[in-house]
Amino acid sequence: MSKHQIDITKKVMSKIKTEQIKMKPKWYFWLGSFAMFIALIGLIVTLIFLVSLITFSLRSHGPMGAVRYQQIISSFPWWAPIIVVVGLITGITLLKKYDFSYKKNFLFIVFIFISAVLLSGILIDVLGFDNLWIKRGPMRRFYQQYNGDNKQELNNTILNSGRGKRHFQ
Amino acid sequence: MRACLGRYNNIDIKMKDLKKLTDEQIVEIVRTKDKELYLEIVIRYQKKLLRYAENLIQDKPKVEDAVQESFIKAFINLNSFDLKMKFSSWIYRIVHNQVMNTFNKNKREMPLLDNIDFDSGHNLELDMSKKEIQERVNKCINKISVMYSEPLSLYYIEEKSYEEISDILRLPVGTVGTRINRAKAMMKKICQNIK
Repeated sequence: MSKHQIDITKKVMSKIKTEQIKMKPKWYFWLGSFAMFIALIGLIVTLIFLVSLITFSLRSHGPMGAVRYQQIISSFPWWAPIIVVVGLITGITLLKKYDFSYKKNFLFIVFIFISAVLLSGILIDVLGFDNLWIKRGPMRRFYQQYNGDNKQELNNTILNSGRGKRHFQ
Repeated sequence: MRACLGRYNNIDIKMKDLKKLTDEQIVEIVRTKDKELYLEIVIRYQKKLLRYAENLIQDKPKVEDAVQESFIKAFINLNSFDLKMKFSSWIYRIVHNQVMNTFNKNKREMPLLDNIDFDSGHNLELDMSKKEIQERVNKCINKISVMYSEPLSLYYIEEKSYEEISDILRLPVGTVGTRINRAKAMMKKICQNIK
């Protein structure tokens, strides 16, 4: 056995014996895996919700006519697509950390992940769940805020300008 | 060093029995009963890991540091090792990561040989025996990019299977095969003058 091999053995074992290095407990790794799993699920749910919000906002504003163009620009949730893109990148990074990812075609996993998020978000809009959520549920206020037919924003503008005070009083 | 093992053990494991134990069985004992039995793991792997790391970095002190640090990291994270997996793949993976960290720290320029034209589909094993390839790998592994030399050294020098290399490098098995074939083609072009 050569000298450097003995040195490595001695150094490693002395660190273990003197407890300079300690094994991390099992719960530490379980907690890490659990947190990563929850983060991934949470991220997927958030992304689906945001995609649904984007499609809902686009649909409720109607066709992109010149009249409605300013309205869609002013009330469109621009932060949502930015979060969706950042979230997708984070999701792909999280997926890559999972042990199985290199055993499959990673591009295929990415394709499935993005497709699932986009399709689920669009399906929520097509099936009319967002129309239910605008009336009741915890997301009611959120959807109302980006509803193109919502008159609240228009009313506030008129009230603030003073022109509609009499009408609304 | 191996003779000292009896002193480290608090549990009743005879030397003969110890040799019969698999890596995974030893890991379980280290985790649950006797952490000092980790010595057996170090003895079993240090030579192989030093050789593997030496094929990636040619700086001996850095190789030793990387292997030592890998053993320490492996011990600290031993509870994360899944006993259903192969321990050798797990510890080789740790060394691989450690070597890559060394590369990044030192910003070492790896040889990029993108301009070399090679045919990945050609089966070089028809032209050369495994022993001949092993000899060539030993001689000129440092002449080709780490991306290709690493799977090549794992296959021919460390004698790992494609599945094991896939687990160590976290690459699909198909990619491992492609890289090994390309590495062989590169080696044939670059190393033909080295004897």
